[in-house]
Amino acid sequence: MARPSKTSLIANCLGATALSLIALPAFAQESLVTRDRVGPADAENVLTFRLTAYDLYSADPATAEGFAELFTDFIQQHPGWRIDTQLQTGNLNEEQARILEQSQAGRGPDCAMIDSAQLATFKQAGVLAPMNDFFTEAEIADLFPFVRDGVSDEEGNLLALWWFTDLRVLYRNTEYVPEAPQTWEETEAAALATVEQGLEGILFNGGRTEGTAFDWMAFFWAQGGELVDENGRPIFHEGENREKFLRALEFVDGLVESGAAPQRVTTITTYDDITASAAAGTTALFIGGNWQYAQLQSTLPPEEAAKWEVSELPGPTAEERATGTGGWAIAALTDDPAKVEICAGIAKLYAGPGNAFQRLLPTSAALYDEYDEFAGAEFGVFAAALENGQARPGVPFYPEISTQIQVLLGEVLSQSKEPEQALDDAAAALIAAYDRL
Amino acid sequence: MNKLSGAALRQSPTRRASPLSGPLPWLLPVLLMIGVFYLYPILDALRLAFTNASLIGREETYTTRSILAMLANPALGTVLRNTAVFTGASVIGQVLLGLAIALLVVRGERNRLPGMLALRTIVLTAWVIPGVANGIIWSMLFNEAPYGAINSALRLLDIPPVAWLSNPANAMISTIIANVWQGTAFSMIVLYAAIKSIDPVLYEAAAVDGARPWERLWFITLPQLRAALIVNAILVTIQTLNTFDAIISLTGGGPGRATEVLSLFTYNTVFYSYDLAGGSALSMLMLLISLGLACVYALFLPRPEAIR
Repeated sequence: MARPSKTSLIANCLGATALSLIALPAFAQESLVTRDRVGPADAENVLTFRLTAYDLYSADPATAEGFAELFTDFIQQHPGWRIDTQLQTGNLNEEQARILEQSQAGRGPDCAMIDSAQLATFKQAGVLAPMNDFFTEAEIADLFPFVRDGVSDEEGNLLALWWFTDLRVLYRNTEYVPEAPQTWEETEAAALATVEQGLEGILFNGGRTEGTAFDWMAFFWAQGGELVDENGRPIFHEGENREKFLRALEFVDGLVESGAAPQRVTTITTYDDITASAAAGTTALFIGGNWQYAQLQSTLPPEEAAKWEVSELPGPTAEERATGTGGWAIAALTDDPAKVEICAGIAKLYAGPGNAFQRLLPTSAALYDEYDEFAGAEFGVFAAALENGQARPGVPFYPEISTQIQVLLGEVLSQSKEPEQALDDAAAALIAAYDRL
Repeated sequence: MNKLSGAALRQSPTRRASPLSGPLPWLLPVLLMIGVFYLYPILDALRLAFTNASLIGREETYTTRSILAMLANPALGTVLRNTAVFTGASVIGQVLLGLAIALLVVRGERNRLPGMLALRTIVLTAWVIPGVANGIIWSMLFNEAPYGAINSALRLLDIPPVAWLSNPANAMISTIIANVWQGTAFSMIVLYAAIKSIDPVLYEAAAVDGARPWERLWFITLPQLRAALIVNAILVTIQTLNTFDAIISLTGGGPGRATEVLSLFTYNTVFYSYDLAGGSALSMLMLLISLGLACVYALFLPRPEAIR
């Protein structure tokens, strides 16, 4: 092989340098999103943003890439800014408590994702900065009523943007359960029929997790039950509420006792456990979140995925329905108006294109029309179910109520306590805690 | 050398008078370290226990209501019972299994069996796994779904599946198994070192006297290990009392409160109920229980004169 001449070496060097210079902007573009920041490292203004691991830093490369593009566009529209990202771990309760504690001590992030279940606690702590200046009245008016109530204070200030909501629905494999059960009785019968065909029966969260309490509350709410009074005091154990509470408890207890649901539901603490069972073909009926529909579609082969359909959660009668609506909010925890504006911009990014990308449920009616991603048939079912949507009570005492309901459900489902005794014990503990806290 | 010593002696009265003389300057760094990183958090937790502090951030006032409310909490009895069962069974399991493996390794090494180093390493692997990961590993093994690891193996053997985690009594046993699996290595290492330090002359004398293996264990090994066993038991007890990470990822404390121990109850009180004062009161209770048990164990430690 002939040695290259000096001229060709120089030409090659110049060529490489030119290529590097051409590639540099592209490289710089890529490095705008790293594991701990969005934007140039030497930006003049910095906003700290504490987010969950389900989007920009999702384990799913396609989701992470999609959000990286959205954030890149966003930061290019806000020159001079850098977003320092702080990831919340999977222990969301502890993370939310940490954000609250740090914000009260003045060491919190400027902007953060807040679980809708914790919004009332953050509101009461007075750490959320109003975002009214960055949303039009029409935008605020277009939020679903339960969302608007959840993110507003008594003066009507918008304290956060609840950027997506979710709801619980009944999933069924139409090969085993062709018709959607409408009532509790039909649900038990359908589940028993699947057991006779060698499956596990109906699955739902029953372990020590917020999902257990929240999924089950739909059965209580469907009867018109109320968890707390206008002062936030627990009242679900009194009067008519007590009867409704016990009926809802007896429904799930009956599912386990009859064998329509396996006792292992008391060990189910994540929706992923249920998705895994559906994907493995061991269940044909389960109570899950709306987001699991997309998971099933992407996990299963198309012909298997097509067998899965969703319907509204059953009620004691076909007319009495409810479903729990949750989701996440983004809120500003700083007094700096410039940072609040950037935080509001991030919230809009998630609420619009972010939701469309992930096919989550926006909290504003206009967004359903704006994006084609929400045209699927399942969104019709979700929209209908949302009409019976019920958010968690907006009281700071809610986490304690949820904990006690998780405990009593575990005791009832594992057959270690009768529903009445479990309810009495939980109510006694709750009232004692309420009077003190 | 003598001149230097003489000079030092001449200066000694002046040095005694100086505040910098004596052991204090040498102890100061460690006192500061203990004070800042150990004593201060304990004192602050004690202070918080006498307040109404909450993570929600209301005005803090001093009161004994938090302590009284926690002591009157109807769940506390169940939680303390769970803690006693979990700690007692874990300590007994870890010490006995640790002792058995240590004896096995020492015996294997004495007989020059191959693989003893590998055995020690394998046992230690469990110890270095974080508690949360330990809980996740065992939750996969104990999974009661048709595809759960242990139950699938049982089905292959025509043995009916076991409700490892959904049955309250079994859930506690499963939690103890997971904890013992992880903690045994610590006991093994402590007792292995202690066995290695026993004078071999004692065993030679016993062999001359015709002592059988169990007699050598009962009359030589165990008495010689007494101090190590008790120190090990103290450490394992405190460690187990503080265990909640493996439980939280294995059962979350459920079903109901079937596997909720005091450390997990304390954690839930602070991070789920946002009750900082109540959580501090519970952590003081944990401290008292740990100290009490350590004192009880200490009564059984051999006295220095007995050792002589």
